[in-house]
Amino acid sequence: MVGGYVGKILRVNLSSGKTSSEDLNEKWAKLFIGGKGLGAKYLYEETKPRADPLSPDNVLILMTGPLVGTTAPCASKYAIYTKSPLTNTFLDSYIGGYLGAELKFAGFDGVVIKGKAEKPVYLWITDGKAEIRDAKDLWGLDIHETDKRIREKLGDKEVKVAAIGPAGENLARIACITVDVYRQAGRGGGGAVMGSKNLKAIAVRGRQGVSVPNIEEFIKLTNEITKNDVLTEDNLWAKTDGTPSFLQMTQEGGILPTRNFQMGVFEHANDIDGDAVKKNFVRRRACYGCPLGCSNITRVKEGPFAGTVIEGPDYETLALGGSNCYINDVGAITKYNLLCDKLGLDTISTGDVIAFAMECYEKGLITKKDTNGLELTFGNVEAYIEMPKLIAYRKAIGNVLAEGVKKAAEKIGKGSDRFAVHVKGSEFPGYEPRGSIGMALAYATSDRGACHMRAWPVSNEVFGDMDPFTTEGKAQLVIHGGIGQNLYCAKWSLVICDFYAIGWENIARLASAATGWKLSVDDMKVIGERIWNLIRMFNVREGLTRKDDTIPYRIANDPLKGGKADGHVVTLEDLNKMLDEYYKLRGWDKEGRPTKEKLKELKLV
Amino acid sequence: MRLKIYPEKCTACSLCTAVCSARLVENFNPSRSAIYVESLLPEKIVMRPYVCIQCDEHPCVESCPVEAIVEDREHGIYVVDKELCTGCGACIEVCPYNGLRLDPVGNYAIKCDLCRGKPRCVEICPEEVLKMVE
Repeated sequence: MVGGYVGKILRVNLSSGKTSSEDLNEKWAKLFIGGKGLGAKYLYEETKPRADPLSPDNVLILMTGPLVGTTAPCASKYAIYTKSPLTNTFLDSYIGGYLGAELKFAGFDGVVIKGKAEKPVYLWITDGKAEIRDAKDLWGLDIHETDKRIREKLGDKEVKVAAIGPAGENLARIACITVDVYRQAGRGGGGAVMGSKNLKAIAVRGRQGVSVPNIEEFIKLTNEITKNDVLTEDNLWAKTDGTPSFLQMTQEGGILPTRNFQMGVFEHANDIDGDAVKKNFVRRRACYGCPLGCSNITRVKEGPFAGTVIEGPDYETLALGGSNCYINDVGAITKYNLLCDKLGLDTISTGDVIAFAMECYEKGLITKKDTNGLELTFGNVEAYIEMPKLIAYRKAIGNVLAEGVKKAAEKIGKGSDRFAVHVKGSEFPGYEPRGSIGMALAYATSDRGACHMRAWPVSNEVFGDMDPFTTEGKAQLVIHGGIGQNLYCAKWSLVICDFYAIGWENIARLASAATGWKLSVDDMKVIGERIWNLIRMFNVREGLTRKDDTIPYRIANDPLKGGKADGHVVTLEDLNKMLDEYYKLRGWDKEGRPTKEKLKELKLV
Repeated sequence: MRLKIYPEKCTACSLCTAVCSARLVENFNPSRSAIYVESLLPEKIVMRPYVCIQCDEHPCVESCPVEAIVEDREHGIYVVDKELCTGCGACIEVCPYNGLRLDPVGNYAIKCDLCRGKPRCVEICPEEVLKMVE
């Protein structure tokens, strides 16, 4: 195999208990690079169409890329690829930390997991070998305890662990996979997929190396890029402040989700913003190979949650677990974050379903009978802090909320779907589209449901100079923008972190230097587009149509309250206008299906 | 010349181990690097590198039964002669600074030689955890 890759894929069949190693498909690597591209390709080829995501038919893939484990800055992430139990679409969920690099040091570019174990197991991967081991004594434990016990069992504190908690075990569709204790594959319910397979954890330790064609030249290049393109004004916020600093900005822009997306500003924003988090700051932590090191380890200094230590809370947690639930106490949000981390819940979706339940409660659609006696009103810390446990263990209303906001609204009924804020079942992240209309298109067309990491027009509309209320140019921006879908696809094929605002030029330089292939900017642009189209084919195969590329009722009908976007909605007319333009630019038909010509052009047929 | 470590600044990014192993074994492999990053999260908020600091006492030199740790007079440091080293681990046991490790492939002790002049770990560390001092 050429440079960057270690050249092997690990196959695990949990039903038969067998593991095997095979060569990485080099032809696919050339077409899709790694990460998002290769993960999507393996998933597309190996998943039975219309498989139930929580059945043994679903496939769970871990995939790295050719830069992972090298000195390439901010480029040692990796992701899980599977069919989402939350959205029934393609799911990719990216993770920082160290496990991706460790997997390559252990001799594998990726892992393809199929079937279902009869009893709880964990997977132990080390130096070219893999073993399925009994996890009876781990089942039921929280993630931090699981991580610790596995390291103790294996007698090596260097072992990296990806694990699920009770939420994943109990098939909560908003369950995450936590890696290296504080890093999550948060979105889309990957934790429930592991739970459905009786797979409690994946432990990895490697002592082998990752090679590139010319290591001295490679290090020179990565040093140069680090100096001139990473440690620069565009990215240094990650180092100096981290994501909590976004909260001041989204508040100012009027796009901070508040009170279950009723409002775009939070009157107590000062209590939960970057400065408020800084008061609890202990020290920074980086993922493997990252010169930015955006993570803030914090310890709550005062109040009822004093002493709570976590890596975080990050912006999304502060927004969805904070302002969206009307919680104005950083200590409480930190505790909520810790609970979600340990129980294995996505802090974004969990915050959103709690906010949804709070609105249901205030509207009288659910009562204390449903909430285990909790006074589940907006801003009530005592009730809020109990909710992650109810959801993870599926107790009382938690059993309904564990299904995600879309299914929860179906169960609760009484018109609650009018304020269930999601796309394709995936709850919204922390950017209100009524104040950034391009985000409505980004959410509607995202491959895994509402997501801020497929395209991020906020950058141009709220923090830049584009009009946030007109549809003009937004389809182009979502597809081809500097933070658009095609660039993100290429970036995540490598797997480079979101927080390094890399451009096409350096994407191509890094990809070429690692693989030894001569990849131009144009090549990488085609690869980005190819990946997005392949994933669209996956979703079309799963039954997705134009009507799924939509926005929720609240966004289209309820005027936003407060802030710069006060009174605004995104009408379905606006959405359809952008969608028509989007499909046309994509070379898709009016129903959002890639045309034969487009697929041929991209070498997908 | 020797390395001074400021452990409280370390973010555990491990870039030091990547460039170190690149020089020693021509690939990226933290397990074969002379510098080692320890992270004890979440049990303890500890992240720090361990590497030979070329201490004055150098008990490693005295502990070696085959005299494989030899002086490099040009740079004023002690280095491991891989040809002589038997991988017995005596130096690793005796080092109070956790400064040496056993190479998992070559069966010899890995000891920092300051890149014989300009340490790459110092150059790449984004947090100034490592400094060269007289």
